[in-house]
This record gives sequence, C-alpha cells and structure tokens, in this order.
Amino acid sequence: MTTHPANQQFDVIVVGAGPAGSAAALLAARAGLKVLLLERGEYPGAKNASGAVFYGSAILNELIPNWWEQAPVERHICRRDIAFMSPTTAVALDFRSAGVGFATAPYNGFTVLRPKFDRWLAAQAEAAGAFVLTSAVVDDVLREKGHIVGVRVRREQGEIYGKVVIACDGVNSFLAKKAGLQREFHPHELSLGVKEVIGLDPAIIQDRFHLTDNDGIAFEYLGAITEDVHGGAFLYTNRDSLSLGVIGQVSSLVERRKRPYELLERFKAHPAVAPLVRGGKLREYSAHLIPESGWAMKPKLYTDGMLVAGDAAGFCLAAGLYLEGMNYAMQSGLAAAETAIFACQKNNFSARVLAAYQKNLKQRHVSTDFRAYRHAPSFVNGPRLQNLYPEMVARGMEQIFRVDGTPKRKILPLTYRMVRQSTIKPGQLLRDVYQVARAYLW
Amino acid sequence: MRIAVCLKYVPDPSTIEVDPLTGLIDAGRVLYMMNPADESALELALRLRPSNGTVTVFSVGPVEADRLLQDALAAGADAALRVWDDSLGSLKPIVTTMLLAAALRVKELPDLVLCGGHSVDRGSGTVPALLAEHLDWPVATDVTQFELRSGRMRVQRRLARGARAESEVTLPAILGLESGLVHLRQASLPNLMRVKHTPIPLYGLEELGLSPQDLHFPAMTLHEVMPPRPRTRVMFTPDIHGSVQERVAQIMSAGVAGKTGKILESGTPEQQADAIIAFLRQRGFLEQPT
Amino acid sequence: MVMTTHEEKMRTVRFRVGATPHIVVNSEICRNDCSVHACVYVCPANLFVPLDDGGILFNYEQCFECGTCYVACNQEGAIRWSYPDGGYGVTFRES
Ligand SMILES: Cc1cc2nc3c(=O)[nH]c(=O)nc-3n(C[C@H](O)[C@H](O)[C@H](O)COP(=O)(O)OP(=O)(O)OC[C@H]3O[C@@H](n4cnc5c(N)ncnc54)[C@H](O)[C@@H]3O)c2cc1C
Ligand SMILES: Cc1cc2nc3c(=O)[nH]c(=O)nc-3n(C[C@H](O)[C@H](O)[C@H](O)COP(=O)(O)OP(=O)(O)OC[C@H]3O[C@@H](n4cnc5c(N)ncnc54)[C@H](O)[C@@H]3O)c2cc1C
Ligand code: SF4
Ligand code: SF4
Repeated sequence: MTTHPANQQFDVIVVGAGPAGSAAALLAARAGLKVLLLERGEYPGAKNASGAVFYGSAILNELIPNWWEQAPVERHICRRDIAFMSPTTAVALDFRSAGVGFATAPYNGFTVLRPKFDRWLAAQAEAAGAFVLTSAVVDDVLREKGHIVGVRVRREQGEIYGKVVIACDGVNSFLAKKAGLQREFHPHELSLGVKEVIGLDPAIIQDRFHLTDNDGIAFEYLGAITEDVHGGAFLYTNRDSLSLGVIGQVSSLVERRKRPYELLERFKAHPAVAPLVRGGKLREYSAHLIPESGWAMKPKLYTDGMLVAGDAAGFCLAAGLYLEGMNYAMQSGLAAAETAIFACQKNNFSARVLAAYQKNLKQRHVSTDFRAYRHAPSFVNGPRLQNLYPEMVARGMEQIFRVDGTPKRKILPLTYRMVRQSTIKPGQLLRDVYQVARAYLW
Repeated sequence: MRIAVCLKYVPDPSTIEVDPLTGLIDAGRVLYMMNPADESALELALRLRPSNGTVTVFSVGPVEADRLLQDALAAGADAALRVWDDSLGSLKPIVTTMLLAAALRVKELPDLVLCGGHSVDRGSGTVPALLAEHLDWPVATDVTQFELRSGRMRVQRRLARGARAESEVTLPAILGLESGLVHLRQASLPNLMRVKHTPIPLYGLEELGLSPQDLHFPAMTLHEVMPPRPRTRVMFTPDIHGSVQERVAQIMSAGVAGKTGKILESGTPEQQADAIIAFLRQRGFLEQPT
Repeated sequence: MVMTTHEEKMRTVRFRVGATPHIVVNSEICRNDCSVHACVYVCPANLFVPLDDGGILFNYEQCFECGTCYVACNQEGAIRWSYPDGGYGVTFRES
C-alpha cells in the first residue's frame, strides 16, 4: 500500500455518524487508532429519523457506564403493546413489567429523538479521540490495486486515505454499492416510514398512559391501520411529546396507490389512537426508509480494505413484533471496529483478515439473530398477517364482548365460524400457524 | 487590498416557532446560521480579493458564532475575529456597530467593508450606515452589484419598485449587500479539516479599549416590534350608471386606467410644491388646514 | 393541532436548500415510458407533480433524501439521484 501525507492518512475511516458509525468510531478511537468519522449532515442525526426506541442500553452501558444519566434520552420503556386493528376496534397484547432490567438499570429500552441522541453519541466518539467531520458527503471509495484505500468526499481535494473503511452510511448505502458489495434494491425489500413528533404536556402524557416519572410506553399496531398496504404503525412516548408513525412496504404503497402521509392521518384518526394524541401539536414531520428484508438483502459484508455495518448491511429487524435497528447497528458497528483493530494489529487489511468480522458479528449475536429471524420478514409482509388476521382478531374480540341479545358463543366455535366466513382456508391457517411459529418460536 | 466582511450569527427564521399562548420562542428548536446576505458578501469578497489581498471576517456574538467564523475560514478567509463580552446581553444596532468599528481598528483599517444589507432576525438594516458614520466613510446600501474600477467602486443599487441606480464611491468604503446574490463556495476538504480546531481570537470590551459606559445609549431605545400590518385594500366597484360594456371594461381594468400620474412641468418650484401639497391634501394624505 | 394537512406537515421541517438539485427527473422518460407514476404516490414530501402530457414536474427543495422515489421508479434512467452537498438539504431537529 502506498503511504500518503500523515494528515491525510487515517487508520480507520467511518462513513456515517448514525448509531453504527459513532459506536464504531468510539471503540476504534479508544483502542488508540487514528479515526475519521464522516457525516453528510450539518450535525450527526440531522438526516436521521426513527421511531425510536433504543434497545441497546446494555450494549452502550459496556462502553459508557450509566450512559443514560448523561445522554439525551426521553423515557425508559416499561410497557409494550401490540395491537391488532380493524377499522373501528383494536385488540392489544399488553406487556407491562416492573421487573429487573425493564424499570431498573440498565433498562431494556429508551425512547430517543435521533437528532439529539446521534449528536450526543458522535460527541462521545469525538471525546474518545475520533476526528468527527460533518457537512462531508462521501461519493465514492478510492482503490489502489483492487484494494479500497480511502474515500472521496464531495469537496475540492476530497480524497482521504484510511487503512480500513467502515461503511455505516445507512439503508441506501451508496458506499456498499460502489464497492460492489451490494446490489440495487427492489421496492418490496424496503419500507417507508413516515413519522410525526407531536408535542404534549408531560403531565398529560403521564396521565393518559398511566405513567410515573420517566416511564414510557411503546405501542405497535398491525392491521387495518395501513389499509391494504403491507406495514404497521407505532406510537411511543417521549418526555414532552409523542413519536408516532406509519410504515409501509414501498412496493405495496405503489400497488395500492396510497400516499404515506394520508395513512398517517388515518392512523391518528383511528378511534383507538385519536384519544391518545388529542390536544397535541405537530412539532416535526419526517420520513426515512427501512431495510425490511433482513438476511435476504444482506450485502457481502467485507472486502479488501472495507467493512459494512448497520442498516447499510441490512442489520435491521423489522418484522411485526420487532422494529429494532439501532441496537443491531451499534452491535455491528462495534464488531466492525473490533475487526479493524485486529487488522491494524496484524497490519493486514485484506479480505482474508477482515473475514474475522463474521466471527465478531456472531459473538455480538448479530448474525445469529438475523439468521434466526430470516423467515419473519417475508411472512410478516404476507397479506394474511398484514391484514386478515389482525382484523379477524379485532372483529372476533368485538363479537366476544358484544352483548346484543344473541346467544353467546364460546371462543372456539366463534373462531371456527369466522375462519369459515373469511377467505382463509383451514389448511392455509394451519400453514400460517406453522410459519408464525417458525418465524418467532424456534 | 484588505477586505473586511461582517458576519452575523442569526437564527434561521424557518425554525423560529412562537407559542401562541405565551408568546415565547421555543429556544430548543431554533437552529442558527450565517446571515444569508453576509454569506453572499463573503463569497463576493473572496472573488474580489486580489492575489496580494486579504479577507478578514468579523462577528459580534457569543461563542457559538465561532462555528460561523470557522466556516468562513474554511471557505478561504484569511483571518477571523470575534467580539463578545459577558457583560453584553442583547445589543442595539448602534452598540453592535461600535464594537465592529473598534474591532476593525484592531489591525490596520481595511480598504473595503462588506456587510449584509439586512439581517434576517432583527433586520434593522442600520449597521452598514451606522458603521459609515463611525468610520466617517462613504456607504452604499441595497447594493446588488459592484465592480472595482481604478480604485473606485462602481455599484448598482436597488431602489423601490424595481428601479436601479448606479453610483460610484471612493475607497475606503462600506457596502451593504442584498441577500441571495451568490452562494458561498463549498470549502475544500483539507480546509474544512484544518479549521475544525482553529481557535478564533476573541476581543472583549477591554481588549477593544471600550468601557460599558461607551456602550450606554439611552438616546435610542427600541420600544416595540410589531408585525407588518398590510393596508386595507379597497375593492374596486364600477360606476353603476355606466353601460354594461363600460362596467365590464372598468372591472377588467380594475380601475387602473383612472390612475394616471400627472407630470408638473410648468410653474416655479414654489408653484409646483403647492400643487403637490394640494394634491396630497385632496387625496387625504395630509391634513386639511384648519 | 393533531390532524394536519400535508402543507402543515412540511412547514415543520427545516431545509437548507443547496445551489444545485441533487435529484433530477428526466420527464421525457416519464412521459413516454412510464404508466405507473409510482413516484407520485410514494414520495412522502409530495414533490412529484404529474403533468397533463404524462410528464413529471419535480422540485428538489423540500426533499427528505429518503430514496423512496429511486427504489419505486421502475424506469431506468428516469431519476438521477444523489445526496445534496454536505450540510445542505433536510435537517431534522427532533425526529
Ligand atoms: C420510521 C422508523 C422507525 C424506526 N424505529 C426504530 C426503533 O424504534 N428502534 C430501533 O432500534 N430502530 C428503529 N428504526 C431503525 C433504525 O432507525 C435504523 O436501523 C438505524 O438508524 C440504523 O443505524 P445506522 O447507523 O446503520 O444508519 P443510520 O442511522 O441511517 O445512519 C447513517 C448515517 O450515515 C450518514 N450518511 C449516509 N450516507 C452518507 C454519505 N454518503 N456520506 C456521509 N454520510 C452519510 C447519514 O447522514 C446518517 O447519519 C426505525 C426506522 C424508521 C425509518
Ligand atoms: C435577543 C435580541 C434582543 C435584541 N434587543 C434589542 C434591543 O433591545 N434594542 C435594539 O435596538 N436592538 C435589539 N436587538 C437587535 C440587535 O442586536 C441587532 O440585530 C444587531 O445589533 C444588528 O442589527 P440588525 O440585525 O438590525 O443589523 P442589520 O443592520 O440588519 O444588519 C446588516 C449587516 O450588518 C452586519 N452585522 C449586523 N450585526 C452583526 C453582528 N452582530 N456581527 C457582525 N456583523 C453584524 C451584517 O453584515 C449584517 O448583514 C436584539 C436582538 C436580539 C437577537
Ligand atoms: S416512476 Fe419514474 S419514470 Fe415513472 S413518472 Fe415517476 S420518475 Fe418518471
Ligand atoms: S428522496 Fe424521498 S422525499 Fe426526496 S423526492 Fe424521493 S421520495 Fe421524495
């Protein structure tokens, strides 16, 4: 490898200051490496929108003990709901816990606002010694004899060299594509999330959701909310606002000719949601893509001189019960940093050495989780789980609870009758039960 | 040639949200930026700078304004200087101007000072003119174009209703530039990296040789800022006595045809002045003599 | 208010508009080769305006840089897509 002027040569260049990139930069800088973290936004987080519940508390706690005491977190999640919706009703699975790890340190999850959280996390990387440069958009990788040796920033004299490049540039990852590690995506592999932050008085939030102090809730919705668009919706509590949004598979938005922001309005108007948001004031609207297909859209994760982490590597678990990306982004970012540190020790940055990334990902449970849930995305995006079942559950409950003088039926015969009346064939139902089980149980 | 550019650190107006109940601005949601007119001024200064010239940028503002001065250095300014003193709260334009004038004197006075014409926050548009008063230099405001010709500055100024004026000022001079004339160039990567940790020299009152008394200006107090109240517009109604065609024609022209100006060509200046006053009285712009 | 129009939503977002468009739509291709007009429906910022002649009018100023139009469009070459220059474009404050 040719050497370049010292001020233009880094050990590690991390592209993208989301959770993946900042975690990678932090760990590599702590190991004493010369790290450059490049971010295209005016500040880290300026381009980033998520739900967002951050489920990576324990991971971050290893790096920054009691991190939540200094980070801009909103509320810690002590109650999770999954609601199945029909146009007028909702049936929710309600999980509350005051148990260890949920309502106590290190807590299971925190709601965060990304522009604030990402900015803080990048500042931690900076404090650890990384050089954080914002307003720097990376357009391409630099190669010498087939090896990736740096990146090109879209500015004059924008070539900058590093021994390892870690691409943490998010779902659209141009870098992974430029490096030949990723293909173009199909519209069915990505979902569009549109989101609103709605300001609401903290006292009202606590009252309305039965919360004390900094407790918070995370509600997920399936079914009629997105009409016949494959997707779902969410509603989370922040300190003095709610984050809510609708997620729709891009191909299905196109097929159904649905405008995402209209689905968002419909969601807020649903009788189960309207009372939760009443009296609030829109503070910010945003939109972002989600890699939905997990394992199926995983790129080649490394090549000579480069590693890919976070959403750029498809490490986002978006499958019905789960919407987790930040924690996996962070884990994979850390695994990439560990690999870069290892390569620097060996002073060898070839794909052969960087292959250690796979082992590191496994150790951090990233690849194991994604392999385990590899069947979930395609199933969750199937029409029955998307629309039919949630509605059936919701309608079924409506019938169970309705008192209208007709004879009460027991649940099993009622279910039987509903299945008979719907378009679902019993065999299909069995197969779906099996698929749910395969996707989530074993 | 030494050029100075005054840069103001301002809130982006699109991020200012006023709570309708309390009338307070939600400070947590405000993002700051370089005043747009100052951004053009900086770019034009960089373009004008001859090979042996310098561009120095100045800002009166809190420590956050350093970012803006660093951006200016990254774009190619040669030096930067920030003025602030913890005793300063919010500034009247006259005070800002005194501080700027003192800062310009820290080194040898420049040959040309470029300002934005208006800031997007307070936007009194007075700083360039006040600065001219302080330095006793000529000033041209509302400048849309300028060109240096054998030591004199030829400027084009924008007047009301789209009119343009061309003027010439001798150097040293101050120009107040319109906003949106040009975009500030993107800094090169090495420059952007270099300025990230460049300290910006800070001058307080003492360093500028000023005392708080110097900045005490009770003579000018801002009492109130009001939103612009547009004048009520009178809908044109056609004369009901006219024929259909006449009324349609009147509606189509919205009564404009009736508004022809009158040019006073004859008479002594006194007679012409009397005619103007009579006209204004007749239209209700001046009170009738009692 | 909680229920908002699309215009009201967009007014809450801060954009620092760059000098040059980062997305360019080739309206010729939209007019001649595309019957789906997917971009019109999916764009969360509603930036694609269908024209009477089948073409598309596109404004880049209020773009979220999400990439949805790019994946949804099925016509090769209709959309030239990149990010705005560093520091420009959308700037979220709370999302
Ligand atoms: C609506 C929605 C809701 C979600 N909810 C949750 C949730 O509740 N919990 C959860 O864990 N996850 C959630 N996710 C997923 C989560 O947001 C992502 O998985 C996570 O942000 C991925 O992190 P990352 O660091 O890989 O990428 P990102 O967070 O996308 O960061 C990538 C960074 O790279 C920068 N960048 C991109 N390209 C370039 C370039 N060329 N040059 C320089 N910089 C560049 C970007 O500006 C950005 O800062 C949600 C996503 C969406 C859209
Ligand atoms: C919170 C707050 C409170 C205020 N309170 C008062 C008050 O009580 N009374 C009052 O009279 N005014 C007050 N102001 C106005 C204020 O300080 C003026 O904005 C400032 O002095 C400059 O005036 P201007 O913005 O109208 O400048 P303009 O004359 O509109 O600006 C023209 C140009 O002058 C230059 N310039 C202006 N300010 C600076 C600066 N700080 N540093 C470098 N260059 C500069 C720039 O090139 C700018 O484009 C207040 C402002 C704020 C933000
Ligand atoms: S989908 Fe593509 S080709 Fe079709 S109208 Fe939109 S941009 Fe044009
Ligand atoms: S990137 Fe997203 S916001 Fe921008 S034009 Fe495309 S779909 Fe619309």
